[in-house]
Amino acid sequence: MAEVIFSEVKKSFGAFTAVHGLNLHITEGEFVSLLGPSGCGKTTTLRMLAGLEFPTSGDIQIGDRVVNDIPPGQRDIAMVFQSYALYPHMSVADNIAYPLKKRGVGKADRSIAVAKTAELLQLTELLKRKPRQLSGGQQQRVALGRALVRDPKVFLLDEPLSNLDAKLRGYMRVELVELHRRLGRTMVYVTHDQLEAMTMSDRIAVMEGGVLQQFAPPAEVYAAPANRFVASFIGTPGMTLMDGALSRQGGTWRFEAPGISMDVGALNDRAEPGGACLGVRPEHVLIGQGPVNGTIQVVEKTGHENIVIIGLEGGQRLTGRVPAPQSWSIGENVQLSLDAEQAHIFGPGPHGPRLNLPSNVATPDLKSAAN
Amino acid sequence: MSSSNTLLERRYAALGLMLIAPTVLVFCAVIIYPLVSAIYLSFFNIFTPTLEGEWVGLSNYTELLQTGQFWSALGNTLIWTIGTLSLQIIFGIAMALVLHQNIWFRSLARSLILFPYFISTVVAVLVWKWLFNDLYGIMNHLLISAGIIDFPMDFLGTMPNAMVSVILVGAWKYFPFVVIAVLARLQSIPDALYEAAKIDGAGPIARFFDVTLPQLREVLVVIILLRAIWDFKEFDLIFLLTGGGPINDTQTLPLLVYQEAFALNDMGRASAYAVVMMAIMLVFMIVYIRRTRSEGGS
Amino acid sequence: MAHLRKILFNLMAWSIVLAVAFPLFWMLVTSVKPQFELFRRPPTILPETWTFEHYWTLLADTNFLVYFRNSVILSSATTLLVVAVATLGAYSLVRFKYRGRESLAFLVLFTYLLPSVVLIIPLYLLLVQLGVSNTIFSLVIAYTTFALPYALWLLRSFMAGIPEDLESAALCDGATRMGAFRDIILPQLLPGIISTALFTFILSWNEYLYALVLVNSDSSRPLTTGVMNMLISSFNIEWSLLMAASVMMSVPLIIVFAFLQSYLTRGFGAGGVKG
Repeated sequence: MAEVIFSEVKKSFGAFTAVHGLNLHITEGEFVSLLGPSGCGKTTTLRMLAGLEFPTSGDIQIGDRVVNDIPPGQRDIAMVFQSYALYPHMSVADNIAYPLKKRGVGKADRSIAVAKTAELLQLTELLKRKPRQLSGGQQQRVALGRALVRDPKVFLLDEPLSNLDAKLRGYMRVELVELHRRLGRTMVYVTHDQLEAMTMSDRIAVMEGGVLQQFAPPAEVYAAPANRFVASFIGTPGMTLMDGALSRQGGTWRFEAPGISMDVGALNDRAEPGGACLGVRPEHVLIGQGPVNGTIQVVEKTGHENIVIIGLEGGQRLTGRVPAPQSWSIGENVQLSLDAEQAHIFGPGPHGPRLNLPSNVATPDLKSAAN
Repeated sequence: MSSSNTLLERRYAALGLMLIAPTVLVFCAVIIYPLVSAIYLSFFNIFTPTLEGEWVGLSNYTELLQTGQFWSALGNTLIWTIGTLSLQIIFGIAMALVLHQNIWFRSLARSLILFPYFISTVVAVLVWKWLFNDLYGIMNHLLISAGIIDFPMDFLGTMPNAMVSVILVGAWKYFPFVVIAVLARLQSIPDALYEAAKIDGAGPIARFFDVTLPQLREVLVVIILLRAIWDFKEFDLIFLLTGGGPINDTQTLPLLVYQEAFALNDMGRASAYAVVMMAIMLVFMIVYIRRTRSEGGS
Repeated sequence: MAHLRKILFNLMAWSIVLAVAFPLFWMLVTSVKPQFELFRRPPTILPETWTFEHYWTLLADTNFLVYFRNSVILSSATTLLVVAVATLGAYSLVRFKYRGRESLAFLVLFTYLLPSVVLIIPLYLLLVQLGVSNTIFSLVIAYTTFALPYALWLLRSFMAGIPEDLESAALCDGATRMGAFRDIILPQLLPGIISTALFTFILSWNEYLYALVLVNSDSSRPLTTGVMNMLISSFNIEWSLLMAASVMMSVPLIIVFAFLQSYLTRGFGAGGVKG
């Protein structure tokens, strides 16, 4: 009974609107990431769910209760903060016990629960220490322990990994996914790091400018971005986006831009002749032969693969990705083709909608691949 | 449900108001009400011993602007403020630069420098009166044995000695404030700036003017504003050292207010002086308040 | 060469420091010299004869102890009242949202800078009307006029330095606003509260003008006006006695300096300059 529903939730700070009419239905036990650049409204959304900010209008529902008027402590949520927000004057044990204490759990039961949680997170040795005597990773685990200790309906996590170093972050990602699987609780996870969102979530809510852009499983967000913003935001290196024009050719469409011209097949009924945008993921640029001519400008070697940036005749730059042994020298002229099956077409403007037909979507299961 | 304020938000706001209520109550009783009545009183003639008064309208103000005493008090206030403030700033910055270096027993030196700021003005004045004593004071002794003067000097009873003495004692008492504030800022200037200047070939003097001073600018403006406000309204130090004398030559505006109200027994006139004095200070206060708020109070 | 320069610089620095501290040194020295030694030419830098007779005279033959007691009561009461009110007020100003909050913060800053002489006349009239003039209580009321804005301003900035996430975390963990205040904010604010209390105490301890105007009976006079009165009323000024009084009057301050100086420096950063 722990689904989370946002209905037409709006939040304004004076003249500035942080969240515009958000509708979001998170199902029971789901791991959902709120993903977007800073200032996109994701943290405000999470804080409204926690009861730390108040919606200007609209309803927020946890389970079958509308929680707008319920204080944070009675919403049956637990939150992990980016800063960890450990109570500096309390020991690790007291930090973890605090939520139980506030709920009137007796002292004996508290120490049992604390010991269990500490065991789970390998904190047993540290229980007597103060937060400032802990490393960043240990502090992070204490913050997690404080959330876990009382089995809430919904876990809220606000960029919990962003203060850790890269290696620890990778480790904690796996731990969190593991934890989610074991607890089966609803988790709402705020991040600006697409890797975290892609690898951990059941579904990702991509936000920008206070507006929900897409709410879908990671694979779908990657393979069928709902609009140009999502396309540009998801994927490293990013999708190449080229402005050009669409024209109708019988039942199919043709896209043309300086240096490039290709058939893009059938599009959905929002497609109109005129300005449009072509998006190609680096792995769908096929270098070797083809109708497009270009010059190698940059080669970035990452070890197992090479990222190449190719200048086209019209001045447009294209990013490609090839397995490591293949490489080119800078200035070399190459021929290439774009995988028309995998090309994305968006309407004009920074939030131009996806125009491809749904059948175009290939959805490899990225999440299980990452694990 | 979609109201503009949720119930929870309103409950929190109510709690916030409850917490501020004692403050507001005290403020209204001991600050707002007296402030308003000070302005109100300035339209009366009130005889202090009986506290009986009559409405005289603006005449307190018109008379005040015509009497020489107000203008000379204003002049004295400005001389005192500018004099003591400049000494405080110059000496304070210099001392901060010295204490910023790694001298022997730095924290002890810092405590000794800080002490005059925290002692009671009464103590400071007693000590200085003793130092200034015409017959047995050590100041006269030192000046005579150094051959600077031949006869004991009257530090507080003649002009311009009295004004100079008051300004000096004021500088001694209040410059530690500048020292501490500047020192705190100095400690936050990144070493990289000095290293870069050194690499660029700047000597110690160039480094002071090109690196230190620009970094201190912000904090100095705030210090000067604050100290200007506090020096302008200084009462204790001047009142206790000279009582405004000789004659009225060191009488500043706060002393004039006191004299009118409690020596000459005209509270209405005194209030008018106080209001005018506040109006002058208001300029500095508004500049200071604007600055603090724009720096990100909220 | 560099070594010599360092020594010279240190000597110069310390001679300035000692010059600044000299009046206080002279106060101490004078207080332990016998009266006749004061009139010696040239003066003795360290006393030839040490004596504590002036301290005994001060405690036994003057009203000093009464003044001292009054000052302790007055400063403690003012500090307690002001810090209690200001802690709640600062919490409200920093962590709550309601209409008029901004103007209130403005008002606090304004009154923080307000000169005492503006308020003193109406306050005098008010306290006379209430029939409480000439009491320590009337001074407590008067002292809140400068101490409360000061304490609020200091505490506001200490409060703002406590991460908001801590309070949010406590709310999520099930605490009420006041519960979070008690469990989390108050312990975090403690150094700030101590610092503010010290400043408030020192301000009240040193205040002169209100004491001069509002109290004129020896039984409720605080140290500042009391000791000043000893100077004015005595027929022939006994400087040693006055210096002994000055030293005794500075005792609380010396204690603070010896043991709690870090709190003073902290308060400086929070209130005075940073704003």
